[in-house]
Amino acid sequence: MTTMTTMTTTLALKVRQLRKQYPNVLAVDGLDLEVMRGEVFGLLGPNGAGKTTTLEMIEGITPADSGEMEILGLDWKHAGAAIRARIGVQLQSTSLFNKITPREALTLYGSYYPKCRPAMELLELVQLVDKADAYHMTLSGGQMQRLALALALVNDPELVFLDEPTTGLDPQARRGLWDVVRQIKREGRTVILTTHYMDEAEVLCDRLAIMDHGRVLTSGTPLGLIQQLAIPSVVELAFAAAAPDPAAFAGALGHPVTARGDLWEIPTQDPKALLPALLEAAERAGIDYQQIHVRRATLEDVFLHLTGRSLRD
Amino acid sequence: MLLLRQYLMECKLYSRDRVAMFWTFAFPVLLLLAFGTIFRSGSAPSMTLVVTGAAVDGPAARDLMEALRQSPVKPLVLKPAEAEARWRKGDTPAQLDCAPEGMRLRVNTYLATQGQMTAQIVQQASLALQVHRDGREAQFLPVAMESPGHAHSGNYAAFLLPGLLGLNLLTMGLFSVGMVNVSYREKGKFRRLAVTPLPKWIFLAGQVLHRLTVTFAQAGVMLAIGYFVFGIANQGSWLLLVLVMTLGTACFMSMGFALSGFAKTSEGYGAISNVFFFPMMFLSGVYFTLDSAPRWMQQAVTVLPLSPYLKALRAVFNDGANLSGHGLGLAVVGAWTLGSFLIALKKFSWA
Repeated sequence: MTTMTTMTTTLALKVRQLRKQYPNVLAVDGLDLEVMRGEVFGLLGPNGAGKTTTLEMIEGITPADSGEMEILGLDWKHAGAAIRARIGVQLQSTSLFNKITPREALTLYGSYYPKCRPAMELLELVQLVDKADAYHMTLSGGQMQRLALALALVNDPELVFLDEPTTGLDPQARRGLWDVVRQIKREGRTVILTTHYMDEAEVLCDRLAIMDHGRVLTSGTPLGLIQQLAIPSVVELAFAAAAPDPAAFAGALGHPVTARGDLWEIPTQDPKALLPALLEAAERAGIDYQQIHVRRATLEDVFLHLTGRSLRD
Repeated sequence: MLLLRQYLMECKLYSRDRVAMFWTFAFPVLLLLAFGTIFRSGSAPSMTLVVTGAAVDGPAARDLMEALRQSPVKPLVLKPAEAEARWRKGDTPAQLDCAPEGMRLRVNTYLATQGQMTAQIVQQASLALQVHRDGREAQFLPVAMESPGHAHSGNYAAFLLPGLLGLNLLTMGLFSVGMVNVSYREKGKFRRLAVTPLPKWIFLAGQVLHRLTVTFAQAGVMLAIGYFVFGIANQGSWLLLVLVMTLGTACFMSMGFALSGFAKTSEGYGAISNVFFFPMMFLSGVYFTLDSAPRWMQQAVTVLPLSPYLKALRAVFNDGANLSGHGLGLAVVGAWTLGSFLIALKKFSWA
């Protein structure tokens, strides 16, 4: 018994206080999200942050312990079939029957929906035409990912969920996938993706939320988040081996310095002013560094600032 | 429509699984051919009578062996040492010792049945000879070998074939349906389906229809081989046969679905299904009847569905009978079907 009026809301997704408790871990801890129609929205966080669990609850695979969700203005309890018909999902790993071919899979899954796109068109979009009739088990990891993406689009969805779409892809394949996401957006769809790659989040997302330990720490546009940091640049000193303890040098310089791996990182508002002082202090202290870079702050730095940890552990 | 497409895809994917097709089609056929040939009846056990002793060339012995010529007993004359060696080995069912004072028979207790039969025939021949010497003719009662009316074949292959059909159903239900679905779930192959609007029942129905197709194809192959190689034919109504087989298919597939809801992993499923599989496979009359088993065992087995199913199947196939008298047995099968189906509905999930 569905009403015939179409609810046009500007929000593709609204989530309030979503919660999921597993026996040993609180995977999602009171999460709020809002995604506008037509935007590419990212959930950025390290492995174990709860991104996949969150997504799976929104997609209706995993039942939530508590919280409210509105997907395209509909909720799971009353309009499950309607939601499923209008969303597309790319799971973190898609397991299909071994000896099914991409073309067959697209046709089969397409048949589950009221309307579907032609298999060939989708295969061209993800560049799998030459593997159209190969058994699924013979595809490489990257090819399987691309097929999974094509499957997510088979029903011409308004809202597409992509869970870690470029994990395990080589750089060229990643670029290719980014192009597809841009194409999806041009077609007017809404995209919600999860990732732990900062460059991906910056390049693809209109807005994003940074997650850790099942919670959203902050959200906004990539640029906005970086600017919030108020330290738009980072000076890096690269060492040959592991970076030495910077405490003494930081004291001499009068500026915080953090060691990370083989780097010393010195965030700053004004690199032009810092550089001469830095170089001189380094000279005086006899610091033996190999290279010096000045880069702008990234989402990685935002995360670091918020949690004290890096995105990729 | 959607169900038809789902069914066709199941068929297509199945046909690409060479291993499954072998185990489903070729293996039972091999079993039938092997066992049917090994236990081909009509070859009576050999009745060798070892004849030895000092008076083996005497008139009494020679007369007796002459009288035995028409009988199935085959005399084998050996020297005493050889005869003793053969006896020690246990190869001799019966031996005739011909001493000057008289003849006597020795029967091997290990080969008692054969030995006794042989000895009885020798006794008969000996008595007939005595009557003859007294000047009269021995009057044997005429014996007619008759079949009891409907064409009950004594061929073991004819007994085995329905048993194998039943075993096929059991295996298909418990493994091709049960294990396969647990494995699919375990490997996450259902998750992608869970986000689509595909109704669970269409997926299951597609599977059921496909397995049904395989069951009948398989049965067709077995029946054809049975007919052309062993001359076994369905003695009863084809309609009844199809009905019984459909009930059996429904029962074992439901059991497979139901069991699959209780296991998260393939190993776990294996353990659960073995509890049902092995008792049924060995004790339900697939390979041999339980007629000589203890009463309690015979009764215990009728609680499981394979035994009553096979009884009904054999009644139609081997005896050409109808199903009256199998009402209780078929009700047992029906109860398992319904119960399993309800459990399956409750416990089957995508995740």
